[in-house]
Amino acid sequence: MAMTILVVDDSATMVMSLKATLSMSGFLVETASHGQAALDKLKSGTKPNLIITDINMPVMGGMELIGKVRALPGFRFIPILTLTTESEASKRDEGKRLGATGWLVKPVSGDDLVKVIKKVLPGA
Amino acid sequence: MASAGSKGIDGVSRVKAGVARVGDDATAADRKIRLRRIRKRLLSEALVRFALLVLLWFSLSYGLGPDLAPYRLRFAGLLALFILLPGLAYKRRHLVEARDAVSHMWAFGQLHFSEVSQMLEASNVLQADIKDSKPYIDVMHEQIGDSLSESEGEVLKVIEQIGLLHAKASQQRERIAESIKSGKELNESTNIRIENNKQIIAAIEMQLDAQNEEFMSNFERIEGMAGEVGSLAPLVKVITSIAQQTSLLALNAEIEAARAGNAGRGFAVVAFEVRKLAVLSTKAAADISEKIKTTCKKVDAEMGAAKDSLKEHESNTAMSHLIGDLGGMQDEFSKNSRLLLEVITEVDANYEESVMRLSQALGHIQFQDVMRQRMEHVQESLVEMREHLLRLSEDAADPARDGHLDLTFKSMLAAHFNKYRMASQAVTHLAVSGGESTGDHSRPAIELF
Repeated sequence: MAMTILVVDDSATMVMSLKATLSMSGFLVETASHGQAALDKLKSGTKPNLIITDINMPVMGGMELIGKVRALPGFRFIPILTLTTESEASKRDEGKRLGATGWLVKPVSGDDLVKVIKKVLPGA
Repeated sequence: MASAGSKGIDGVSRVKAGVARVGDDATAADRKIRLRRIRKRLLSEALVRFALLVLLWFSLSYGLGPDLAPYRLRFAGLLALFILLPGLAYKRRHLVEARDAVSHMWAFGQLHFSEVSQMLEASNVLQADIKDSKPYIDVMHEQIGDSLSESEGEVLKVIEQIGLLHAKASQQRERIAESIKSGKELNESTNIRIENNKQIIAAIEMQLDAQNEEFMSNFERIEGMAGEVGSLAPLVKVITSIAQQTSLLALNAEIEAARAGNAGRGFAVVAFEVRKLAVLSTKAAADISEKIKTTCKKVDAEMGAAKDSLKEHESNTAMSHLIGDLGGMQDEFSKNSRLLLEVITEVDANYEESVMRLSQALGHIQFQDVMRQRMEHVQESLVEMREHLLRLSEDAADPARDGHLDLTFKSMLAAHFNKYRMASQAVTHLAVSGGESTGDHSRPAIELF
């Protein structure tokens, strides 16, 4: 059974390109344009195997989303990857502290992205 | 007085310096008017001083008493000599200096009034232009925004096209997978059939070989029989000749028996029987000859049939060739079938590579988001610059301003360092403005915690 990945990004190009890349690799893809929309999806029953989120987004950013997802029952151990232009070390450390599984700085090739996903999702 | 003189000299120096720097623009008429005014004032001052002296002289005259009265005139003269003349001399010198000073001051005033006017005019133009920077910056801001929107739209179209391409490729891949399956089945089936056909061909070839051997044997046997039958014909002639000679001998014996009378009667019977036997022998020889002829005809017919068989044998050899060709064709078909399978498999591998490359291309498309964020930062900077320029313009128009700036371009530029998200932004900033980065962007692009 194909695994589901929730992609959270306010950039339409990012969402579309990630959706296409991940679909090509056999994943089902859910999308959200900001942290609050992603959180609503999770609360309404969407249970992805992995969340890939941007950091700087309107309404609710990636950092806040990570913290709130970790507080949701049943999402404590779900892998969360950040895919962002933020490369500063202090931001990474903050993401790690909040519970991010990994930090990817844009742009990341489709090949590298799938390799990372297979590392954090062993069954994929 | 000394202080006033010093100030006057300082003023002259400054004016002279100013004149030396920019030249004398005052007109002669202006200078004459100013000098006339100064002369009038100095004259009125001298008259006042003279009046004061007269008053002093009368005071002394009445104050000193009658004994000193004869000295009044001398005393007054001396007083005038010691007080009035140096003053007048000093005034005269100062008048000249003052005249020059006024002349230079006039020139200086004219000059700086013009400069100040120009500066004020330039300042007004500058303020107006700074205000005009708002639409300029707004247009640039919108240009960047529109470019980003267009870029995003076009990139989305590219992604859509890649998606369609991938969907088509997926369909092709399904067909390729079916083709591979069919190709493998065809290959296996072909190999089985080829193997079966080979066995059949081998059996047919064995049968043909056996038939050929049998044919050759039959042909040789018929040929031998034909030769043997043909060799009987001379024997028939010998028998016929013997029968004819026997008949003649029997006839002679009958004649001799007849000549011998009764004694030869028995011999005549024998001779008659011999002649009859000879006739029968001749007839039998004729029958044998006829039968040999018939047999020879039959043998000829058989030989004809054998020749037909030979032709058939030759055609059987052609069939062997045909079977051989068929085998070659089957081998060729098997080879091509394998080749086709290899081609289809290679196409499948190429599809995998195409998907990988499409995936890579989609990864590169992320540059648009990176570029968008950098350009949005530039847009924010443009807005910041616009607001700052407007504040500067308002400050410049405010006569009460003290010249202090809360915000400067330098401080704004320095503040940008804390707003950068990407290492590339900091690198560009440092390359242009110099300095050292305060952020740590040295960690790898992909980091798993």
